[in-house]
Amino acid sequence: MNCEEIRRSVQDYVTRELSIEDRRLFDAHLVECAECQRELALMMALVSTLDHQPVLEPRPGFGEKVLASLPRQRSFVLSPWWSLALAPLLAGIVWLFRVPIARGLEGLLGRVAVSHVTAPAVTLPQAGIAAALIVLVGLGVAFSAGAYVWQVYLRD
Amino acid sequence: MFEHVESTSEDVLVSRSARGDEQAFGVLVERYKGMLYSMATRLMKDRGRAEDAAQESFIKAWAALPGFKGESKFSSWLYRICYNTCISELRKKRPEVELDEAMGVQVEGPVQEFRNRDIQATIQDEVSRLPDDYRAALTLYHFNGLSYEEIAKLTHKPMGTVKAHIHRARAVLKTRLVERVGWDNLKEVMWQ
Repeated sequence: MNCEEIRRSVQDYVTRELSIEDRRLFDAHLVECAECQRELALMMALVSTLDHQPVLEPRPGFGEKVLASLPRQRSFVLSPWWSLALAPLLAGIVWLFRVPIARGLEGLLGRVAVSHVTAPAVTLPQAGIAAALIVLVGLGVAFSAGAYVWQVYLRD
Repeated sequence: MFEHVESTSEDVLVSRSARGDEQAFGVLVERYKGMLYSMATRLMKDRGRAEDAAQESFIKAWAALPGFKGESKFSSWLYRICYNTCISELRKKRPEVELDEAMGVQVEGPVQEFRNRDIQATIQDEVSRLPDDYRAALTLYHFNGLSYEEIAKLTHKPMGTVKAHIHRARAVLKTRLVERVGWDNLKEVMWQ
């Protein structure tokens, strides 16, 4: 490399973007050229100074000002995880109404000449468990939704 | 409670903010206000307008957070909002104000860095005089630590153009630094 080529590649040398071969040629020239050593030292100092520019701080109270300017109403976006809360609720409903569902299915299958399916009977404890499950899931969803609405829309 | 939130990981803070938790968002504002304000000051060369732009960026981020999918780093996403806000403000073409004082230069860093306060101030001053495209690319690369690729995406410019802007900006800074400070003085500072 000559001095002109060194000047063209000095920035890539400092930011380590030169290939190994070019870096070797660069180093070889540097050993015997005081002017290019000076050029390199200046660019290294400049790049390092630019890399370490100070972080400026806004005036005190900036954070509070930002929070005070946030719009109180934000579009209500449900997290996809909320749909999971509906899964046990739907399962509970299906289970509670399994007898009429199964009878309906039985009738449907009978019409297409499949006769070995019979509707199961449901006991009182089973119906009680299903009802309790639905009530619990419903209360959970209502409580979470209430807490969310309070946090997003009502809390100061 | 606030101390607990302060030490919470960024992902959790972002997710809580997206659900409307102002306290969590407040911690993110505290963490990033310096970076956004510094970036806006360097892009806009006016502290008053920079503070407005930083504030507007946070408000835009708050509104857009429910749609943040986490495909990029939160900081990169925030820088993009701030960059777009500043560029849009700059296009309004208000009269430019020169950067006041030495922007609170602190003397710290590696040995080969210019530690001399006057030289640092000269560099900051010359950065503020660079053309907008050069100054933006240089700020995003050196100050915000973005890669050429990230800057290209952010500024909608080819990567080669971004790299050329940064190279030319550094070359201009070097020339002006030598003109203003003089080689002899620079040598004295660099090898002191």
